[in-house]
Amino acid sequence: MLEIRSARKTFYAGQPDEKVALDNLDLTLQTGEFGVVIGSNGAGKSTMLNAVSGALPLDSGQILINGDDVTNTPVHKRATRIARVFQDPMLGTAASMTVAENMLLAELRSKKRTLARGLNAKRLADYKERLSTLGLGLENRLNTKVELLSGGQRQSLSLIMAVGGSPDLLLLDEHTAALDPRTADLVMQATVRAVDSLKLTTLMVTHNMQHAVDYGHRVIMLDAGRVKLQIGGEEKANITVAKLVDHFAVKTDAMMLGA
Amino acid sequence: MEFLSSTFTSYVALVPVTLAQSLILAFVVLGIMIPFRTLHFPDLTSEGAYPLGGCVCGVLIAAGMNPALAIIVALLCGFLAGCCTALIHLRFRIHTLLAGILMMTMLYSINLRIMGKSNLSIFGSDSVYNWAPFVTPGFPVSKIIIAGIIGAAVFLALNWFFKTEKGTALRAVGSNPAMAEAQGISVWISTIVGVGLASAFSATSGALMVQSQGFADVNMGLGILINGLAALMIGEAVVGKQSVFRQLLAPFVGAIIYYQLVSLCLAAGMPPPDLKLATGLFVLAMLALPSLKRGRGGAPAREKLRE
Repeated sequence: MLEIRSARKTFYAGQPDEKVALDNLDLTLQTGEFGVVIGSNGAGKSTMLNAVSGALPLDSGQILINGDDVTNTPVHKRATRIARVFQDPMLGTAASMTVAENMLLAELRSKKRTLARGLNAKRLADYKERLSTLGLGLENRLNTKVELLSGGQRQSLSLIMAVGGSPDLLLLDEHTAALDPRTADLVMQATVRAVDSLKLTTLMVTHNMQHAVDYGHRVIMLDAGRVKLQIGGEEKANITVAKLVDHFAVKTDAMMLGA
Repeated sequence: MEFLSSTFTSYVALVPVTLAQSLILAFVVLGIMIPFRTLHFPDLTSEGAYPLGGCVCGVLIAAGMNPALAIIVALLCGFLAGCCTALIHLRFRIHTLLAGILMMTMLYSINLRIMGKSNLSIFGSDSVYNWAPFVTPGFPVSKIIIAGIIGAAVFLALNWFFKTEKGTALRAVGSNPAMAEAQGISVWISTIVGVGLASAFSATSGALMVQSQGFADVNMGLGILINGLAALMIGEAVVGKQSVFRQLLAPFVGAIIYYQLVSLCLAAGMPPPDLKLATGLFVLAMLALPSLKRGRGGAPAREKLRE
């Protein structure tokens, strides 16, 4: 379970271009719930995700994961419970290392790293099996450096890395936005499969309204650093893209992309 | 013809001495490779850590300490120096190159303080090279054997370490710090340990060199970084850097080839003062090569720098 309590974050405080990115934001995500976050540019989506992951310290407020206050926990310690897939495929993987080494790093995310050999036969077999579920042939390229993979392959790898080890919380930061439509669809399908089968508590930020309609248990719309609207349950099941877009105060072109 | 044969004769006579020297200096090249390649932390501390190791070792041996123990103390001092550079970068967000220059400048004074004078002779004192089996002490062969054994041990240890779980995490910090952090790896600890380790090797090299040449000098590090970079580039050109094994082998192979080349140049009559210019031009040429191949217009930055 994720709880964000009265989170507040101001950029450039006291300067003419002061910007309140999170304005006493409250949000609760139940264990196993899949929340989809939408909102126009500057609504605070990325700030919220960065605050949850620990990359950005809050000015005030609290963040709790499964009841534990992690507000002041640094990123690498929070990482034992949180997995994240970034928008940029380059960010989520170590380019100069091999596919297997990246998988190893992810596996050790929540474990104590020892001086034992990293890539042993047992692990390699396990990685082969997990990667084969993607259907991209990555299971035969375990010793390929990640920089030689395409953006879609890298993002798929990031996803498999993130969902391994069943994190307490999965953060997806527009993780299909940088991909071509076909690859985006593949990655999205793999995401939904993993989230469903592992019952992961997931927070996904997206600009794709169709995805917001199709996936997740609840749509959370942010505006000016607060939760403007939440649609769940029956209502979420019946929502359409057109209705969702109507809720935006400013209808930018970016919003219409999904329509 | 006369010139060629005399050059060849004097070069061949120098081969064992040069080989001993290059095996000792291979540790500096290793201390440059780790930050530049593994950690993507371009670091100049080695220029100060190398004489630091030399000065510490010199003073301790002059005071009658066991030569092996003196090397270990020098190594620890180098480790601390590297940790300081990493901390300056991490805590104050100062560029890695500037942090290294700061450290190296401050180390110059520290080295002078340690020795109390700019030059210290330990000629005739016991050294680790006297322990080489089967050979008469004092000859290059004994230095080749001892430096070679230590080098091989360090190479094997690092080749093992970089493939362990901890070692893989350390390499991830160099490859993508943001990703490493998101995978639960402390960028601070990895960077401090990694840069510290590199400077420890540079200091070890200084300590071995002092025992080899019989004196310590505060200026012994002058230009060592560019020499090391040149050696590293040669090594990488010869053995490549595709894998951990090759990347680790490159400093050793590079150091051996580079110092033989220098020796050849000197044997051919090149004035020693021109050596730094020649080395600098060589490093420049190696760095410029990709941009020259691509033709006119700037090339993308070759070194990936951390902010």
